[in-house]
Amino acid sequence: MEFNAILETTKNTAKIILSGELKASTAPVFKSEVEKAAATNPERLVVIMKDLSYMASAGLRVLIFAKQKMGANVDIYIIAPQEMVMDTIKKTGFHHSVKIMDEYDNDKVEA
Amino acid sequence: MEKIIVSGDLESLDAISDYVTTAAKKANLDTTKTYKLRLAVDEIATNIVLHGYQEAKIKGDILCKAEFSDTSLKIYLEDSGMQYDATQQKKPEDLYKPLEERSIGGLGIYLAINGVDKYIYERHGNSNYNIFIVNIK
Repeated sequence: MEFNAILETTKNTAKIILSGELKASTAPVFKSEVEKAAATNPERLVVIMKDLSYMASAGLRVLIFAKQKMGANVDIYIIAPQEMVMDTIKKTGFHHSVKIMDEYDNDKVEA
Repeated sequence: MEKIIVSGDLESLDAISDYVTTAAKKANLDTTKTYKLRLAVDEIATNIVLHGYQEAKIKGDILCKAEFSDTSLKIYLEDSGMQYDATQQKKPEDLYKPLEERSIGGLGIYLAINGVDKYIYERHGNSNYNIFIVNIK
């Protein structure tokens, strides 16, 4: 399945919607969107993974890059990861550092 | 299954993933084992391309073949890149650290080795052999 990363920015939030397979050959596309998102100085990065069917370590490295680029005070939200993607997130301890939610409600998070 | 030989570049890795997924289906692996095996092979194959070939400025191919038995599925990757024994790499020590304090290396190997029942590395002559074994029963 073709990989896509779509960036949407609002006042304080950068949202990236991922679909397809995130691996070494497609991770640069995600990284490029993270760089664009970082340039808007968001308070949080929301990554929608509902339609992401596969994630290799190349995807994890982009999340590390995002945190290091945006700063420790910018929260990363991972929304609706599929079971095996979630397995990778847990196995590598990323669930300790990001907020994982089934769905993202901007109004609730900002409240 | 007939072995496949692909060129050692990132664009070729999809063919290896397709091959592994087909072999897993043939061996009746469930979706979890199939995903983990595909991930394990993909991580090592990515390392072969990026470090074994590109970084070392070596051009070469990757051979992939599957071997079936009553009890296991074995996937072999053979390449002629720089020698790299992933079994010698330590488990990342920063898995509990916040992302801003982490190093970016080592996660792929960790996922690969933990994704299969047995992982073997061998070096013979100028060739690297990475062998992934998944128990069927």
